[in-house]
Amino acid sequence: MSGAETMASVALRPWPASARDALSKEDLYQQIAQLTTERGHLRGITEKALQDEIDAGKELPEDVMEAVEQEKKEEAPTARDKLEEIHRVRNEMATKLEWATFSAANALDLVAIILSKDPSKNLESAYSHKFKQQGVPPGSFGLDKTDPPERPADRQRLADTAMRQQLVMKGSRMEALDWATDNLLKAATKLETEVRKETKYWEETLSISKKGWSIQRTRKDGRHAPFAVRYGLPEAGNHFKARGLAPLRMDKDGSIILDPALALKPKTLRVRISDNGKITGASNLPTQSDVDESAIEKSIQLARDSLFEEEVFHEMSMETRQLLAYGVELRNSVIQLAAPGPSDRSKHRKILIDCIARDDNIPLGQDGSQDWLAQNIAEFLRLLLTHEHHMRLHRRSQIPPPLTQHKRQQSTPPLLRTLLSISSHLDAIDSLHAYLNVVARTLKSAGLELALEASRETSWVKLTDIIKESHRKDLSAIDQLLQTFTRPFEGTTALSLPSSNGAQSEHITVSTRTYIGQPHFGTEHKLTLPPSLISVLNLSNDQQRQFKMSSTEDVKSYLDWNLSLDISHTVLSKEYPGRTVIKSKDPRVCILSNGSKKGSHKEYAVSIQLENGILKATASNNMHLVTGAIAESFVWNGSPGHPSLREKVKSWVDRYP
Amino acid sequence: MHELLLYGQVPAPRHEQVLKILAGVAAMQPRRVLERHIIYKPQRAPEEPGSHLRRGGSQNVTNRQTKQQGAKDLFYNQLVQKLSEEDFGQGDGYHQPSGKPLSADTEPGAEPKWSLEFQDIPDTGDRGVSIRLTTSTDLVSGDPHTWMVAAGPHQFVSEYYVEGHRFVHGNVIIFLHRVLHEPGVRSLETAPKTDLPNFAALQPLDPSSAYILEAKVRVQDFNNTAVLEAGVDELKAFQKRMKGCVDLELPDRLSLDTRVKWVPPPPPPTMRRAQPGHR
Repeated sequence: MSGAETMASVALRPWPASARDALSKEDLYQQIAQLTTERGHLRGITEKALQDEIDAGKELPEDVMEAVEQEKKEEAPTARDKLEEIHRVRNEMATKLEWATFSAANALDLVAIILSKDPSKNLESAYSHKFKQQGVPPGSFGLDKTDPPERPADRQRLADTAMRQQLVMKGSRMEALDWATDNLLKAATKLETEVRKETKYWEETLSISKKGWSIQRTRKDGRHAPFAVRYGLPEAGNHFKARGLAPLRMDKDGSIILDPALALKPKTLRVRISDNGKITGASNLPTQSDVDESAIEKSIQLARDSLFEEEVFHEMSMETRQLLAYGVELRNSVIQLAAPGPSDRSKHRKILIDCIARDDNIPLGQDGSQDWLAQNIAEFLRLLLTHEHHMRLHRRSQIPPPLTQHKRQQSTPPLLRTLLSISSHLDAIDSLHAYLNVVARTLKSAGLELALEASRETSWVKLTDIIKESHRKDLSAIDQLLQTFTRPFEGTTALSLPSSNGAQSEHITVSTRTYIGQPHFGTEHKLTLPPSLISVLNLSNDQQRQFKMSSTEDVKSYLDWNLSLDISHTVLSKEYPGRTVIKSKDPRVCILSNGSKKGSHKEYAVSIQLENGILKATASNNMHLVTGAIAESFVWNGSPGHPSLREKVKSWVDRYP
Repeated sequence: MHELLLYGQVPAPRHEQVLKILAGVAAMQPRRVLERHIIYKPQRAPEEPGSHLRRGGSQNVTNRQTKQQGAKDLFYNQLVQKLSEEDFGQGDGYHQPSGKPLSADTEPGAEPKWSLEFQDIPDTGDRGVSIRLTTSTDLVSGDPHTWMVAAGPHQFVSEYYVEGHRFVHGNVIIFLHRVLHEPGVRSLETAPKTDLPNFAALQPLDPSSAYILEAKVRVQDFNNTAVLEAGVDELKAFQKRMKGCVDLELPDRLSLDTRVKWVPPPPPPTMRRAQPGHR
């Protein structure tokens, strides 16, 4: 303990030099040894000699000069001098060699005689000649090793050395401890920051995980990004599935660095409605919700949304390739889709779909009259892709068909096709209904009844029943609902003929089917005619009473033709039984006048024309055929207050009895 | 159609864990499957092996070469009924039997519940997986038992239940299941039950209630080597993937033998009397 106290003040520096004149005994020994090596024996060193030396040292430069001069003088030594010199040196060498041989022989003899203690060694040859002659018996020389007797000076020196070694030991231990302390402190600080870093990283990771994002371990680069967040949808397409993973890297403070995949500009789908080249509606961009979520969670969510929207757009742009024939084109990365509506304003309606950066501020210089439509379309497209994701899982979970040579090909999800078929179907069926309503009103004003029974889409009418009675328990109701949109649409319209009476009404049925793909490739109307029209149309009985037409205009004109035929040939014939003659296939009927029965030619030709919702009846009298037909006509256009067709015809017929 | 098969065994305590692992591997939720298998056997007894070989000399005209046909093997067949939890009896055996005969009638659009399955003995090929021919015929109307008895003619052997979960991983159909049966003497029954017992009353056939993991790939174009190889590779890839979790192995071919064995007739009683005479 006391030792440590004295050590406390010890600083490690060279051993303090004592005063120059107070040399210790040890130092003196050292000095003497040094002097001996430098100057030879002590005897030669006197004060005077040293003084001379110092003086000579002072005059060194002159000396050097003299030496140069002397060299010239000594350039020609005599041969005698040289010879003497050589003799002297030879003698000297011979003496020294003799001494050396003698000493070596002595040493060798000594070693040999010592070794001769061992009788097994034959050392006769090792002895020098002279030594052998002396006949020293072998083994007569012993050797022992003892410590030299301890002198007081040595003791002192050893103690000093021990002391010094101890001090050095303590000093170096202090230094080592110092170094260790420093390192430990450094390690502690590092550990602390690491712990803080880890804590922060884990906290953030945990908060991400708590929000419901799935966290998974990354395989490589485990040091800086031990975890990755999977935000992509599990059933997304291959390309988008791979993009849905972002490593959570740690920065210097331990907070999570935004991965480049997350830091991408989020994109969003935008749907715009253009009427006659003017934008009349646009879907809302999602609002920026900067609530209390931390940045990383928000960016994960944005990335997820963006990925989804991009996938919607990607799938649709793939789909446009198949749909060029339907007027769908991809221009300047904007999908343009023709969707004509029934009204005049929307005749040249186009739906524009593009994918834009989410925080782009697009000036809204337009009237927002069709905003609702655009918004609904955008939501519908998203719903369809979600449905496709569900269906992918569903299809994947079914028992796969046995392996064959033919690879199962994955079809692109019908997003645009669905949109297109809905728009085409609704357009066709709505314009048909609108037209038929006009016709019904017109006929009603003319005193003819036309009953209409129409549905836009049969499965939409009984949607809840379909879902309720479904056998497919493994599909959720929403998926079943959305699945009805991917099937062909079928709308039916039944209209009763004006000629039919209430008890057994004859119907023309128009069923409108829409499917983008086999076998319809668009909208198709199928007309089914009642039997009564068969005779009117002069069709053979066994002929199929169904006609397929792809254009709504064709259906309209065909219906017009059928209705006017029915009115002229059936309604008027019933009105004047036995007095009507049908002469042509046109909607034209001749009515014989009531009065003259005997070969008179009084007959009226009444022709009925139904076009664009306007009913026109023309009557002509063939009496005046020679002079030129007098034609009377009347037009019903749906406005009330006109006499009925029957009355009108009666008035014409009765005018010329 | 051919089936490529591998089997593994999962002890009961590991069932939950393996179920979760499989859900992760297949990336889908397990589907519960309940089935009733009813086994039928042809009423005709199988011929003695080698009985078609001509014994002794023939008195036929020698130049008429009749084709030597091997004895036709007879196979067990089974009817498979897909069940749901509601199909099982609710009470504890006291409920009145409804007496309704079995019916395979299916509404249009619904999945058929009954099917007739035939499985051949596995191939002798050496591809690392078991390959066997199977046929499956869905029954959509009528009483399946009556039909089955009349069609063979078959006779009822026994029935058992299978409960488990199914996954689909690519083309591999993974079925983690165990076989249940109704405890008690069953040899007296001659027809399958029309009223199912309570599900809780069923006991696993294996008393340790271990589960079987069946990995199956179905192949239609069996003769096309590329298709077959693709199927085998996919199954083996799955086997490799499950290494360390469940060891999928090639089952013993003869343990999957579905042929009806020929039982030698009991020796005639005269033999007995003859034996003491020899002494």
